[in-house]
Amino acid sequence: MSYIVPIGPYHPALEEPVHARLYTEGEVIKDAEVFVGYNHRGIEKLATERNAIQTLVLVERVCGICSHSHAFTYALCVEDLNGLEVPKRGEYIRVITAELERLHSHFLWLGIACHIIGHDSMFMHIWDERELVMDLLEELTGNRVNYAMCTIGGARRDISDDLRRRLLEACGKLKDILDRITEIALTDKTVALRTKGVGVLTTEDAIRLGAVGPHARASGVNIDVRRDAPYSAYGDFEFDVPVVDSCDVFARVVVRALECYESIKILCQALENLPEGPINLGTKLPKIKEGQTVKRHEAPRGQLSYMLTGDGSFNNYRISIHVPSFKNTPTVPHMLRNNTVADAGLIIASIDPCFSCLDR
Amino acid sequence: MNLQEYKRIDIGKDEVLPLAERMRKEGRYLVMIHAMINKEGQPDISWDYAVDPIIESYHVVGETCVPSIGEIYCEAATWPERELNELFGFTFEGLDVSKRLFLPEDMLETQGKGQIMVTPLKELVEKNLGSQNAEGEVKE
Repeated sequence: MSYIVPIGPYHPALEEPVHARLYTEGEVIKDAEVFVGYNHRGIEKLATERNAIQTLVLVERVCGICSHSHAFTYALCVEDLNGLEVPKRGEYIRVITAELERLHSHFLWLGIACHIIGHDSMFMHIWDERELVMDLLEELTGNRVNYAMCTIGGARRDISDDLRRRLLEACGKLKDILDRITEIALTDKTVALRTKGVGVLTTEDAIRLGAVGPHARASGVNIDVRRDAPYSAYGDFEFDVPVVDSCDVFARVVVRALECYESIKILCQALENLPEGPINLGTKLPKIKEGQTVKRHEAPRGQLSYMLTGDGSFNNYRISIHVPSFKNTPTVPHMLRNNTVADAGLIIASIDPCFSCLDR
Repeated sequence: MNLQEYKRIDIGKDEVLPLAERMRKEGRYLVMIHAMINKEGQPDISWDYAVDPIIESYHVVGETCVPSIGEIYCEAATWPERELNELFGFTFEGLDVSKRLFLPEDMLETQGKGQIMVTPLKELVEKNLGSQNAEGEVKE
């Protein structure tokens, strides 16, 4: 018997608005379609009526999880157009915030993945440990979400010696926590049974469809903007890019767990070699010079790109935001094919989707 | 400074497809297809390719109808093309626009020209006044 099974748009797996239509043959999905656009807020249009500082506040609200990535990338664009040289200490503080954000995002996803496969004790354990990262972020920036850490020309808040010492201590603690979590994730039978061989996206498909970030790296595609096209202070740090080629949901768990180690590695290097000096270029409101630029940033979910066009006034002439989920969502129907309906939620969630980001 | 350099290259409409084919062969990554109406009122569509660590941006100015590169770059190209089709009304030759991406399904009734989601206040006032007039209120 063939059925059409609608999933969503409310809460298919995560609390995110997406609608999936599954064309099934019995229990097996033969074809699928994904529909987005339930949360279109017109942020690109709103940005054209705001100046650079106001836009920082606005773009941080594109996403609740990777809010720093948006402000970071927008600031990179304005600095590039205006030819501003950001103080080294400011760059380092931005990178520290970005990596802490990656840690918290990956912990969040790992927790949710465990929740979906029915391993709730693991979910609670991971989210409990995530609180440590959230506390660090709160101490560093003053906020738990929407950190407001970026400003045009540097960072907004400095790191005191005391905080630096505590952050370094916490990095050691996080490594132990990660060891424990990775051990459970890699050896537990429940995790393996629900994720191995599920939602396969082959390397060819990943390249063909233009997947990005951890999702692509779990399919054996070796890309990472931080390494391929270094920006900000990322050129100063040594880190590896974990790539796994088993292409299934299990690979995505492994890649994200391994990436947390790399983030800690970057954090430790940044904190140990934190340069002295100013953290920003002052509070003067810049005019956005005439011209156009595109900047990319490796957000927790993958490559985030911003296009900024200025016309010499205080306001943006045009800004265009494209988030990693925009690249990864088209791969979902390909992953759903020949899997069972029971796994659909997990497969949709395995790209670490952010549909409100996607809709902007 | 100026990491991730941005290189703007102007091309003609006919070069879009051969360029995409060349980039695909070289294994380049399509960052995004952007568009805007520039200050002269001309449409400006740009294809940004990552030639790491540089971004090469190929611009076609003054065309509202350009070839689709969906055959070459699959969904990595068709999604941005569908977005631009819905929100700017640009035509991509060979692109399937029978389904909507961001806008509601009934956008097709507006011949793919997008949809006014919120009625402007001025129009709303005029409409209301119009209906009042119909009910017999005296107005010139």
